[in-house]
Amino acid sequence: MWHDAALVAGKDLRIEARSRVALSQVAPFGIVALALFAFALGPDRGVLARGAPGLFWVAVLFCTVLAVQRSVSVESADGARDGLRLSGIDPAGLFLGKAAAVGVQLLVLEAILVAGVVVLYGARIQVPWMVGVSCALGTIGLAVTGTLYGALSSGLRMRETLLPFLLLPIVAPVLLAGTRIWQAAMVGGSPGDGTQWLRLLVAFDAVYLAVGVILFGPIQETA
Amino acid sequence: MRYIVAGYVVILGLLFLYAVQIVWRRRRLARAVARVVATATATAHDGAGDAVATSVGRHP
Amino acid sequence: MSDLEPVTDRTHGSPVPAAADTGPTPPPARSARSRATERVIGVLALVGTVFTVWLGLWVTPPDRTQGDLVRLVYLHPGVAWVALYLAFGLAAVSSVLYLWPRTRSLFWDRLAAASVEVGVVFNVCTLVSGSIWGKPTWGVWWAWDARLTLTAVLLVLFLGYLALRRIPAEPEVRARRSAFVALFAVLDVPLVHFSVNWWNTLHQGATVLNPGLTLKIHGSMAWTLLLGFVSLTLAFVWMLLVRYRIGVLEDWLDANELDAALAERRSEGAGPGHTVPSEPVGVA
Repeated sequence: MWHDAALVAGKDLRIEARSRVALSQVAPFGIVALALFAFALGPDRGVLARGAPGLFWVAVLFCTVLAVQRSVSVESADGARDGLRLSGIDPAGLFLGKAAAVGVQLLVLEAILVAGVVVLYGARIQVPWMVGVSCALGTIGLAVTGTLYGALSSGLRMRETLLPFLLLPIVAPVLLAGTRIWQAAMVGGSPGDGTQWLRLLVAFDAVYLAVGVILFGPIQETA
Repeated sequence: MRYIVAGYVVILGLLFLYAVQIVWRRRRLARAVARVVATATATAHDGAGDAVATSVGRHP
Repeated sequence: MSDLEPVTDRTHGSPVPAAADTGPTPPPARSARSRATERVIGVLALVGTVFTVWLGLWVTPPDRTQGDLVRLVYLHPGVAWVALYLAFGLAAVSSVLYLWPRTRSLFWDRLAAASVEVGVVFNVCTLVSGSIWGKPTWGVWWAWDARLTLTAVLLVLFLGYLALRRIPAEPEVRARRSAFVALFAVLDVPLVHFSVNWWNTLHQGATVLNPGLTLKIHGSMAWTLLLGFVSLTLAFVWMLLVRYRIGVLEDWLDANELDAALAERRSEGAGPGHTVPSEPVGVA
């Protein structure tokens, strides 16, 4: 399973490296989103700085939708999906591989967005490791659920509009937890403020990872 | 108190409207089904005049 | 599949006789008993609801603390219970039963779909009734309270389920897809519950929604509350039965409408004396 996962992840990341869609399209979109938030919330930098955690995570969610759409559409050309299934790759490995690829892309995007938020909103991060951990755990959750829903909707004609509608409510806990942890990181309070949210993220990730590993095979047969 | 009455009207109204809608939907569907069965039966019976032909059920 | 092998109606397990020249098999008709049961449940629900309204709006006294606002409590927890636990719970269980190979049958899928649709209606009622209660009580139409947010998230999750079902697909494919979505939605509910609860330990307005009046509840209020619950549950059951039947009819039409239309076209062209082969399709 792990071997297959590495294969699939490597394939997806290589495709990304060659086509640079995430870097050249999704990342700028994320920055544009940050700019739009700034336009919407007005010139008061205090508001922006205080809202930075939430705005960051909403921008990340938008990027997640795009990254997942991309991950799904990569398989739709030339019967690649059938080829994958026929190749005998372990479905759990396929799931982990695709999720890992999406996760890596998201991490890169998040790094860019963190820089964006610090520069554009004047956000001050007192406890950087909390930001890092929340991004890592949140990314796992987003990548895993995104891959699951991407697989569910991969055969659908209305995928573009339906996927965000299905996916975003599901990742509401990630949004909540990520924002709270960031707030604790910015305020610089004791780590205790954020640990229960970290626990929630871990639980979320564990549940959907397990579900994905077990159910990805049957889900694929639905598409 | 107006809020209360409004609340009752809205909730029960919503439920009542939905109830009406599903009853109407079911009726409309049943009629459509009856129509399909009738036309198909009539169509099939059009061929009943040919005794040999009717004994052959379906073609692969 | 050979010509003469009987088509098995997978839902009910009974073989459907190969109707070579009598057109498609109509969907299983409802027995007189099931129709009578449905009517009885419907009447009981209606009567119960009318009584609840009468009791709730006139007979019962206003509450000591809440005044007349307590009257909405006769309806609100009832619709909430029906939507959140009864309807969506049933949908989740049905979805699992559909996915489980031993019990797989499109019956469970249709039951889940019907349950979700009715549940969504009740969910909307829950949010609206809560909002109407909240305006005079808290002064706002909405608050980001744990319960409200969770209820709203549930609504969106299951609206997504309904949207997914609209997409045309083979019944089995659609059933599997929907079942997975229902399962994911249900898994998310406790997670959202915890997150929103932690999020709102600040303004603990949630307790106000609890009918704290259970302790010093006046006799008639308790009975009205119970009657409200029972009537709304019966209403749900009745709606479920009707909506389930709609699912059966819709699936049958999807399977047979095209064949019947084609047969009609062919017969127009062939003229009298030719058999039109018709493929009976039971509602699987």
